[in-house]
Amino acid sequence: MKTSAVVSDTIGSFPSTNAEDKAAALERIRRAQAGDVDAFELLYREYSPRVYALCLRLKAGDGSDATELLQDVFIKAWRRLDTFRGDSAFASWLHRLAVNTMLENARGEGRRTARVLPMEDTSRLSGAARSSGIELKLDMEAAIASLPKGARLAFVLHDVEGYQHQEIAEQLSVSVGTVKAQLHRARRLLRERLES
Amino acid sequence: MTHEVIKHLLDDYVTGELTEEARAPVEEHIAGCEMCSAEVESLKRILARAAELPKAIDPPASAWAGIRSAIARDDRATRADRSVSRFGAWQRPYVLAAAAILVAVLSSAGTAVYLNGRASTGRSTGAVASDSSPESTPASLAAFTIEENNYLRTAAMLQDLLDQQEASLAPETVAQLKASLRTIDEAILEARNALARDPANKMLVEMLSASYRQKVDLLRRTTELTRGT
Repeated sequence: MKTSAVVSDTIGSFPSTNAEDKAAALERIRRAQAGDVDAFELLYREYSPRVYALCLRLKAGDGSDATELLQDVFIKAWRRLDTFRGDSAFASWLHRLAVNTMLENARGEGRRTARVLPMEDTSRLSGAARSSGIELKLDMEAAIASLPKGARLAFVLHDVEGYQHQEIAEQLSVSVGTVKAQLHRARRLLRERLES
Repeated sequence: MTHEVIKHLLDDYVTGELTEEARAPVEEHIAGCEMCSAEVESLKRILARAAELPKAIDPPASAWAGIRSAIARDDRATRADRSVSRFGAWQRPYVLAAAAILVAVLSSAGTAVYLNGRASTGRSTGAVASDSSPESTPASLAAFTIEENNYLRTAAMLQDLLDQQEASLAPETVAQLKASLRTIDEAILEARNALARDPANKMLVEMLSASYRQKVDLLRRTTELTRGT
């Protein structure tokens, strides 16, 4: 599918970057598809940090919610592994699953208001920011977490994860125009909060 | 193009999503418009900061245990389903097994109700911790981790044994056992997640220990029944 190819180009190469790594990852996927839980755990160890970073941002920095979402994603991944055909990168497949799971859960939970970053989660994100040596990232994470849900989703998926407008529109079941409007809103709010 | 039109194109201009045809007049306008020029620079800074954010963050170490537990539950449920369809209606009622299952379910359901109630009322975890019994609670989370691994190993061993012996159980008992284990596993997962949020809470450690004990006890008693002891 065209949109999957776009996502593969942007996020699919992570974390396996060379041919040898890709072959090893495919072998682990094949073993996991055959029911090998140890192979699936290796996939989890390899891909979960990337998926967890996405979950944290989708869940407005709430570590507990993000962990539950991460668990849901990998439990679903295990149950649906046989539907992964290898025509897109495994990372892209997991990311799509994460976004879909978050949307399904949100529909089940009903309307929820956007939350600011709680202290305990600030410390987690702070650790991540410190580990990369840029303290300013914490302000950015907090500002993203404080965005209204629609704007936050559009910003995280487009500007952080590298999805295209069309891909986001398909996943969120909205028009490309709506995605662009939410992105514009997110960037405007971030500028106000970070630069005013 | 007017200023009003161009300011709506600045996002696409910064992200390089304007056509060449549209790009030229926008660039020309920006060169002479202080407001649009400032907005473009600000947008570039925001996008640069977004690009610098860490793309990977390690999840809590406890997250995999919950996933592993759900996978094991799925696997066993699938095998139990196959077993029920294979055996048909036969065998004795196993009243004792049903009673053991009922006790375990009620206890685990109690754990789930307690945890849910605690979450919804926002009850102080500190107060809960002070209610717990120190005699039955591991001294530290590290000690509990060792205990948890022992429980997991024992439960897995008993489960394997039960899988080999389940042909001697009535299908309805197998189905009930499967549902009971699911209830206990859900209580374990819920307590594990609560403990991840509140690692110092001794009551949660005790509740999790109790759920593991129930699981091991239920598996042990059921395997003993299948052997007619």
